[in-house]
Amino acid sequence: MRTVRFFLTSPAGIIGLVLLVLVLAMAASAGTLYPNDPLSLAGRPLQAPFVNPRFVLGTDSSGRDVAAQMFHGARTSLLIGISATLVAIVVGVLVGSISGYYGGWVDVTLMRITEAFQTVPNFILLLVLVVIFGARMDLLAFMIGLVSWTAVARLTRAEFLTLRQREFVQACRVLGMGDLRIIFREILPNALPPVIVYASIVMAFSILLESALAFLGLSDPNVASWGKLIADGRRVLRTAWYVATMPGLAVLIAVLSVSLIGQGINDALNPRLRRD
Amino acid sequence: MRRRMGRHHRKGCEMNDLMINRRAFGLGAGATILAGGMSPAALAQETPRRGGVLTVQTYSDLRTLNPAMRASYAIHIYTSKMVEPLVDLGVDNQPVPKLATSWSSSADGKTITFKLREGVKWHDGKPFTSADVQFCAMEMWKKYQNYGTLLHRFLSAVDTPDPHTAVFRYDQPMPMELLLRAACELCYVVPKHVFEGTDLLKNPANLAPVGTGPFKFVSYAPGQNLIMERNPDYWVAGQPYLDRLIIRVINDAAATTASLESGDVQASFFSAIPRTDIVRLAKDNRFRVGTKGNEAYTILNTIGFNTRKKELADVRVRRALAHAVDLNFYCEEFLMGYGKPAKGPIPSTSSFFVPGSAQEYPYDPKKAEALLDEAGFKKGPDGTRMSLRLMPNQSDDIRAFATYIQQSLQKIGVKVNIELLDAAGYIAKVNRDWDFELCTDTNLYRGDPGVGSTIWFQSGVPAGTPWSNQFGWTSPKLDKLVEDALVETDSPKRKAMYGEFVKLATDEIPVLMALEQVFISVASAKLRNDHNSPRWPGTSWADVWIAS
Repeated sequence: MRTVRFFLTSPAGIIGLVLLVLVLAMAASAGTLYPNDPLSLAGRPLQAPFVNPRFVLGTDSSGRDVAAQMFHGARTSLLIGISATLVAIVVGVLVGSISGYYGGWVDVTLMRITEAFQTVPNFILLLVLVVIFGARMDLLAFMIGLVSWTAVARLTRAEFLTLRQREFVQACRVLGMGDLRIIFREILPNALPPVIVYASIVMAFSILLESALAFLGLSDPNVASWGKLIADGRRVLRTAWYVATMPGLAVLIAVLSVSLIGQGINDALNPRLRRD
Repeated sequence: MRRRMGRHHRKGCEMNDLMINRRAFGLGAGATILAGGMSPAALAQETPRRGGVLTVQTYSDLRTLNPAMRASYAIHIYTSKMVEPLVDLGVDNQPVPKLATSWSSSADGKTITFKLREGVKWHDGKPFTSADVQFCAMEMWKKYQNYGTLLHRFLSAVDTPDPHTAVFRYDQPMPMELLLRAACELCYVVPKHVFEGTDLLKNPANLAPVGTGPFKFVSYAPGQNLIMERNPDYWVAGQPYLDRLIIRVINDAAATTASLESGDVQASFFSAIPRTDIVRLAKDNRFRVGTKGNEAYTILNTIGFNTRKKELADVRVRRALAHAVDLNFYCEEFLMGYGKPAKGPIPSTSSFFVPGSAQEYPYDPKKAEALLDEAGFKKGPDGTRMSLRLMPNQSDDIRAFATYIQQSLQKIGVKVNIELLDAAGYIAKVNRDWDFELCTDTNLYRGDPGVGSTIWFQSGVPAGTPWSNQFGWTSPKLDKLVEDALVETDSPKRKAMYGEFVKLATDEIPVLMALEQVFISVASAKLRNDHNSPRWPGTSWADVWIAS
């Protein structure tokens, strides 16, 4: 409760929360406001925004409603963002905690694997995965998670290294607790705060990765997405600026909201900023 | 990110190259002009001005610059200024003498004699003779050149009774009109003395052409530019007018528009810039925009049906899908008027076009739904009759059309999932493995239906052959007709046979030739004598000059 109160005193956190609620509202209302398939042909292509009341934000070069794609695209982005982050956190925490707790050859092996992932730029790795496994939406979340877990693993490992020799952990050992219980019940809760802050960065990055893939025409072509709309709009930038600009703003807002919330959580969890 | 994109683009242009190889060879087509507006006739009155540098844009870089061994519309942009064909294609699709000055065919159609131009010199100073023609025909066109191997498959020998006569001997009759139309794309002559006795595929002249043309090779940087300079000894006195010619590679459509507007390049061909920019520049009097000078470059957008799949084996389903796509709307709103619904595999720009020969499938969603009901594909509880995968080949235009197909079929309860593939993946999945239900691509009409059109319907083409019959449809009647037409020397009879071919091909539509588009050029209004022949981007440009 105290953390929540502190979060609400951070201006960054509040702005982030407001923006995220906005994006969430877009995603939630997509089905009600735009019940038709957002990728269906709606009307003449490249109608300007605010001219035809049927298409508030105009139409793209394939005659699809830009607004409908924006709202449905919010779903895609949030879905990808949240599920990819979950995948990254689960994998990263598992690898990091085991590595940090046991040390020795387990640590060496796991960290070499982590480094192998880290040496390949994650977008390149993602492209390879997409080319091999195809660009289905469910797979995509998993693949984005798979290229983003390394930093989480390193962070968790570092926390574990400082915590595993503390008195309370030694006390647990003396009491005869099993390794798994010590890892997940005792150390992990204390190691989580920085990971949670980092999760917001992973989420922002996942949204960007999906948009970048869609921009290159490698995302799932049968799902509305902001990146796809930007890619489509780039070709007509000189004559129809709004097609690329609107989803560009949406990506900006979504990524900003998640980053600001991360900042807010960081402030709230930082003992040096606490005034009690 | 930036480096990544660069790589992506390079990959993109290899694919373009690949795609272009099969589009290859836009032979002569009919004289119909879909839209015009370039080079007002009045300009012909001005006196040509010597000098100046012309820079034009192209989007693909090439691994060979030898048009005697490789034919594609992309290669001719580069090489037709340096290397010349026996015969070129003039207005009204009449053959124009280039290295050959006259030609005749024997009564049985098996012997064709070319008289060659005298006093022509190669860029290295040696004289051009019939031995060069003989060498190219037997060693390059017949053995290596795509389409040339097909065209000259019955060529047994080329005799050279004197240095300025070449006699082509064929085992089967060769229709004269077929050879003359093909010549502007397939009969380029390179010097025997440079290639003889070397490994033809690895000869350095493949990347530094030696020819007889109005411009000489200076340098080639793949992916960047090709630079050429004036040939002072060209066989037309006083020509060429330009001092230098630069072909620049820009493979981004939006960047091409920007280069045109800034004046960095003075022309762009093959509909390389976005349609919206084409419409915008058409209103700008600094440019001339249109399809004039591209009549021989007609492409057809296709919708292919894999007839091996149970849904599409039924001709009623194929006809229903054809009725469900509103092609007129697409042409007006998406192609901005630069295109029209096609009437069969032979486009209306061709002299082989026989009006009324094609079975047409006008937009009629009610009829489409009735046909699907009749075929037993009733709407399910969620409104879906069937679910099909659609694979578009790699190109922005083809993918845009794929999206339109998806949107159109959705309305009659056919759910379409688009699977995006790169060019190599497309060949593997669609042409080799036949693992598709619907596919969409383009077919460049090659001037004579016998070269690039009939192969889409013939049976017996091995799996993995790109741009052939991958639809699993066979018709012995069509097969025989197509074979007979290739050796028919009577011109009207041949045309009638192709009319019959169109009728058979459009009745059961294993592949629907949906749209017909002529390539669009954008050129600076200062150019003179540009776009004055049906395949102008691929000609020599000896008479081009720039007004001050």
